Amino acid sequence: MFNDGILKEIEEIRDKYPDRKSALIPSLYIAQREYGWLSNEALRLVADNLNLPEATVRATASFYSLFKNKPTGRHLIQLCTNVSCMILGSEKLKDFLGSKYGLEPGGTTADGRFSLLIVECIGACDGAPSMLVNEDSYDELTEQNIDVILGKYR
Amino acid sequence: MEDYLKTGGYENISRAFDLKPADIIDEVKMSGLKGRGGAGFPTAMKWSFASADPKFPKYLICNADEAEPGTFKDKVLIEKNPHLLIEGMILSAYALKAEYGYIYLRGEYYNAKEILEKAIKEAYENNFLGDDILKSNIKFHISLYVGAGAYICGEETALLDSIEGKRGQPRSKPPFPVNVGAWGMPTIVNNVETLANIPHIMRVGGKVYSEIGNPESPGPKLYSVSGCVRKPGLYELDMGVTLREIIYDYAGGTSNGRYLKAVIPGGVSAPVLPGDKIDCIMDYTSLSKAGSMLGSAAVIAMDDSVCMVKVALRIMKFFEHESCGKCTPCREGTVWLRKILERIEQGNGRKEDMNLLSEISMNISGKSFCALGDGAAGALLGMLRHFRDEFEEHIEEENCKFES
Amino acid sequence: MITLTINSEEVRLEEPVSILEAAGSAGIKIPTLCNHELLKPFGGCRLCVVDVERMPKLVNSCSINAADGMIVKTESEEISRVRRSMLEFLLINHPLDCAYCDKAGECELQDAVMQYGPPSGRFMEEKRKVPESHEDPVLARNMERCIVCSRCVRMCDEVQGASAIGMINRGGRTVVEPFSSKSFDCEYCGNCLTACPVGSILSRQYMHNYRPWQMDSRTKTVCAYCGVGCSFVTQVRDEAIVRVAPEAGLGLNNGLLCSKGMFGFDFTTSARRIKKPLIRKNGNLVESTWDEALDFVALRLKEIKDERGGDAIAGIASSRCTNEENYIFQKFLRMVCGSNNIDSISRTGYAAAQKYFENLLGQGISANIISGLKNSETILVLGGDPTAVNPVLGISIRAAAGKGAHVVVIGHAPGLDRFSEIVISPPDFREAELIEALLIDIYGVKGKRSENNIMDRSISELSEGISGKIDINGYNELREILLNSSSISIVLGMDLVQRSDGHRSLFALAGLTYLLEARLYLLSERPNEQGLIDSGCVPDMLPGGRLLSIPDFRRRYENAWGGPVPELEGRTLMEIIEAAGNKEIRAIYVMGDNPVYNLPDSQYVRKSLGSLDLLVVQDIFLSETAELADVVLPARGWSEKTGTYTNLERRIQLLRKVVNVSYGKDDWKIISDISSKMGYEMDYTDAEGIMEELARVSPLYRNLTYSEIAEKENLWPYYGEPLRGELKELPPLTRDSNDFGDDLYLAIERPLFHSGSLSNSSSALLKISPEPMIKIGPSHAGRLNISDGDMVSVSTDRGSLDMKICIDKTLKGNILLMSNNYKGKGVCQLLCYNLDHITKAPGIEGCKVSIRKMTYEFEGQV
Ligand SMILES: Cc1cc2nc3c(=O)[nH]c(=O)nc-3n(C[C@H](O)[C@H](O)[C@H](O)COP(=O)(O)O)c2cc1C
Ligand code: SF4
Ligand code: FES
Repeated sequence: MFNDGILKEIEEIRDKYPDRKSALIPSLYIAQREYGWLSNEALRLVADNLNLPEATVRATASFYSLFKNKPTGRHLIQLCTNVSCMILGSEKLKDFLGSKYGLEPGGTTADGRFSLLIVECIGACDGAPSMLVNEDSYDELTEQNIDVILGKYR
Repeated sequence: MEDYLKTGGYENISRAFDLKPADIIDEVKMSGLKGRGGAGFPTAMKWSFASADPKFPKYLICNADEAEPGTFKDKVLIEKNPHLLIEGMILSAYALKAEYGYIYLRGEYYNAKEILEKAIKEAYENNFLGDDILKSNIKFHISLYVGAGAYICGEETALLDSIEGKRGQPRSKPPFPVNVGAWGMPTIVNNVETLANIPHIMRVGGKVYSEIGNPESPGPKLYSVSGCVRKPGLYELDMGVTLREIIYDYAGGTSNGRYLKAVIPGGVSAPVLPGDKIDCIMDYTSLSKAGSMLGSAAVIAMDDSVCMVKVALRIMKFFEHESCGKCTPCREGTVWLRKILERIEQGNGRKEDMNLLSEISMNISGKSFCALGDGAAGALLGMLRHFRDEFEEHIEEENCKFES
Repeated sequence: MITLTINSEEVRLEEPVSILEAAGSAGIKIPTLCNHELLKPFGGCRLCVVDVERMPKLVNSCSINAADGMIVKTESEEISRVRRSMLEFLLINHPLDCAYCDKAGECELQDAVMQYGPPSGRFMEEKRKVPESHEDPVLARNMERCIVCSRCVRMCDEVQGASAIGMINRGGRTVVEPFSSKSFDCEYCGNCLTACPVGSILSRQYMHNYRPWQMDSRTKTVCAYCGVGCSFVTQVRDEAIVRVAPEAGLGLNNGLLCSKGMFGFDFTTSARRIKKPLIRKNGNLVESTWDEALDFVALRLKEIKDERGGDAIAGIASSRCTNEENYIFQKFLRMVCGSNNIDSISRTGYAAAQKYFENLLGQGISANIISGLKNSETILVLGGDPTAVNPVLGISIRAAAGKGAHVVVIGHAPGLDRFSEIVISPPDFREAELIEALLIDIYGVKGKRSENNIMDRSISELSEGISGKIDINGYNELREILLNSSSISIVLGMDLVQRSDGHRSLFALAGLTYLLEARLYLLSERPNEQGLIDSGCVPDMLPGGRLLSIPDFRRRYENAWGGPVPELEGRTLMEIIEAAGNKEIRAIYVMGDNPVYNLPDSQYVRKSLGSLDLLVVQDIFLSETAELADVVLPARGWSEKTGTYTNLERRIQLLRKVVNVSYGKDDWKIISDISSKMGYEMDYTDAEGIMEELARVSPLYRNLTYSEIAEKENLWPYYGEPLRGELKELPPLTRDSNDFGDDLYLAIERPLFHSGSLSNSSSALLKISPEPMIKIGPSHAGRLNISDGDMVSVSTDRGSLDMKICIDKTLKGNILLMSNNYKGKGVCQLLCYNLDHITKAPGIEGCKVSIRKMTYEFEGQV
């Protein structure tokens, strides 16, 4: 069950929109923040709270790539491989993460420390190749500085 | 905030509030401002449709879902100068008699999110937003709506479904958002850069603005430059500038002096141009004459180390991943094209594939429900037009000679 | 007036519609896949593209409206090319397993490909692979065949309002899934199945044994289950129904069905059917011949009548039998047995309510069209969940809510939760006070409607005793809504009738109906509850609702039937049972019902019927009641006979014979034979002949013929004229209402998936809902630390049963719910009752219940 703090948070979001359904995506974010990913239980909570049908809630969640339908590691790496990053070598970095950290796209390290997602352009092309670790963005990546960067995430 | 106020920020508001809303729309009309979201639709025209509609409330939505690969102008604009956007929205809202505004921000822009949240808070504290802005009993509120990872939600009608809590799939038009938009009410969707131009227009006046740069589409324009250039980055230039000037005079030419092989001038949806056809002016009409489009004005330069099949494949993967799945040609066609391109890149291409690729693209182009499908088809057709031999080479030699 | 040209034909339109519809109205067919007549335009498949002059590209005819002066071309080289390429796209991932797919032969994709499709495919890659899902008991999902038209999902959302399935993922990875991604756990209306243009959503009921072209016959008929009376086409092979299919434009359900209609038809082929007459010989029921059985019944009835008089004989008719059968039944009892002791299980609800309302407000007061609900401004729902009892009526209420109507629920109607503006929960069993207060309150504002009307008089009498103020959540909002709405519908379920003071609620509702000029709808659990009354199976009325007590009426029938009609008003259902208990009644003839199972206090009912000199039961199953009988006569089932049903709107519809069986006889035939043996000749040759007589004698059915019924809608009162105005002075209302403490009380659940003895012989419905459950609210469950699915034993002073418990979030108050559907485990076994002295319906309120969690101990182990 959502605690009162969260219920209040969602209530406030609701008030910003003419229709309660508009609070769905924000609520899904909150549920993901609380539970790490959107299990069916989490989706059910959101549905009950907004009095929306469960299947509709799941349908919406499944449309958006930032909503996770399975647990991820402690830190999420989103590596861009779109054109600007690709032509400046992001795919080599992908392989590097594979060989060095045993990170396959969509996978998680054995120790649950990192998960890797290959993503579309993250709007950092001027610093390509680029990635996001959790909510921090890193540019001009090389095999060397990736090591240093990831070192900061335990 | 301070800095923005020092540079005369928000001064327009009180001045604008003395004018009639219609006068502001006239100023914008005179300025000749065209939408910066990609379609290049005259902003004042969209506004007058909306204000002609008798239904209230009306909503103003800022499209900050910037996701066209190669593009980062809206992100930088927000991170560097959030208040410019907010002021732009206040002025526009007044012109449109809208009391509620929403900024649909791309979910991956975590930093921009924090900056905007802070800026909106400041604007409220300084009474630039609220129920009684600067005691003028004019009301305008802005809320931030964070997208969740779907390129298609940049398309304005998909954006509307998304903000209504649904799967972000485009709606059929007519009716247009200006009449039946968010929650069934008249809604104006404008790009970040478009709205950020409004304070400037109000300051210097539409007339003066219209004389900036290119009469065909006046005003300054933000160009995102990336790829194989020395100085990638965001450049604000007149729309009179040519693609060559952008790459050589501003971005310093190719990184290691290699031969410039190809340039994508407006994000991956815009057909590629060969490196020797870059003397066209970077505005809406000239680029379409040149067989491409300005799109999001994201310039991606590629030198001769880059494999065009690989680029084409990567672009198709993008569209396949982002297709919303509503309409047949885009949903099925992008999958099919990606699979063929993958085969060719891996050296398993067949002679027939060349025709198949262009026929499939032609079957998507103009048949898809929204412009995403057109973008996918256009991008590939551009590649085939200018780099056909490279594809054929892959097929004949049954491999890719570029080291990846 | 819009005028446009389509294929150089001029088309005129009254109001704007899509180009597709415009073309359709001119008989021009445009191919579609994602479009569906019951759904909003979607515009995804892109098959319906047409050429409109001065438009840059081809447009979707389904989603673009026809405009004045448009010049449209629906066929051209270019258009065919586009359609061909769309189909090529759809086929790249569509498995070509038509030889094996149930949909083959009626597949819209197959048809479209035949007409426009590419001659051969150019797709050399690997097709999408998704295993077919059989994780649901009745539905299968094959996502390899899915063309992502989203018709199923939109049907579930827009029309059914269940929203149980959704489009999951996006782009080429989109699939249709229920929330669990496994079993549907939905309302099982099966409308997604009807909506699917290809073989992606399938019924496991006839999987791989259905081929449209192999059906021997397709017959239009009416559903066997509830009082809505949906129509569908039965598809038959080897004298068994393989499948039923609703059709857009056919019947009031217009292409929709509910779980019972869609999946429940297989009860007729249940192994539990009886096929030979049975006679009790030294204690046991043994098979006999028809002659022996009929002679025996005729002889015994005659003896009893001669010894004790006709009043010692009673008949219980059936709302599952046709008008014709019920007409013959009451004629037989009146004219041959000389008794007016004729009633039916409907007395426990519909008949009691209907009769009471008609006494006050005139005949036909509840004859309102279901589709009218959609246009109501306000809908007040009480005493039951329409979406469970009469599902297809229920979705009209959802549709109304969708169009902005105020839906207000008093009591428990979980199926309307997401659709109701206000839900009011009165204290347990005390609805009457609330509704009376509401009536007086509204009366206070609106005042009298006319001077000397009995309603106005009775309302003002009532107002003396009542303040008209009541403090309960939502009451004031409801009051405001009612006072400010111009078109109000009141939908009444039978829970409120089953109170010993039920008449109070009924009077108050009659008052509201009268003052607010509202439309009244009575929910009806069975297909012919109204027809039963109209054909005279009530103790005080002859066919057509003519009162026995009025000599003129009696005389009219005596002339028609050639003999005296007994004057003495008969007994109502529960009175019949009681009279049997104290030996005043010696013989009961039961046609097509099961009082032992369906009436509260079954032990008592069983005892009373057991003490009779003669119990004759005519049925298709060996029911609990039949097991007690002296003679059991095998009848014909719903799909095996012809006749008419009258639904709750009073729409009279044809029930058609769809299969031929060698065993059993039509109910009317059995009774005619006995009648003739008893010296009153009945020589009917078929049901149609009976309807001719009925239409001759009943002022309601005047001149009605089968051909008319088959051709057009026949809505009451046909050509006949109803009796209007008030017929009876109002009997005094009960005033005192007893208080109910904090104990738990047992009440009846009327579930979506079952309906008495029919559904528990349907294998499909038993798959969906296999076993009895007792439902409890979360708070009580917590208090008793019981968790979902625990085995409990449920006890009242009438007995005790073991079953699973189910925690129902929506359940308030101190009520536990249990249904009356499963063999050996019906709620009626546990209920006691007090008769409402006015409506004569059994009140089941205040039946204390206790539950004990069962713990299994294994004895004899070391
Ligand atoms: C597939 C697709 C993606 C789009 N993405 C964006 C976007 O990220 N940002 C944006 O401002 N407009 C985007 N657009 C254009 C919008 O639909 C709309 O034209 C624009 O927001 C209007 O703003 P403007 O008039 O200020 O240009 C997109 C259009 C399509 C078809
Ligand atoms: S083209 Fe069709 S499938 Fe593709 S994104 Fe647009 S609507 Fe969706
Ligand atoms: S029917 Fe029009 S697009 Fe499918």
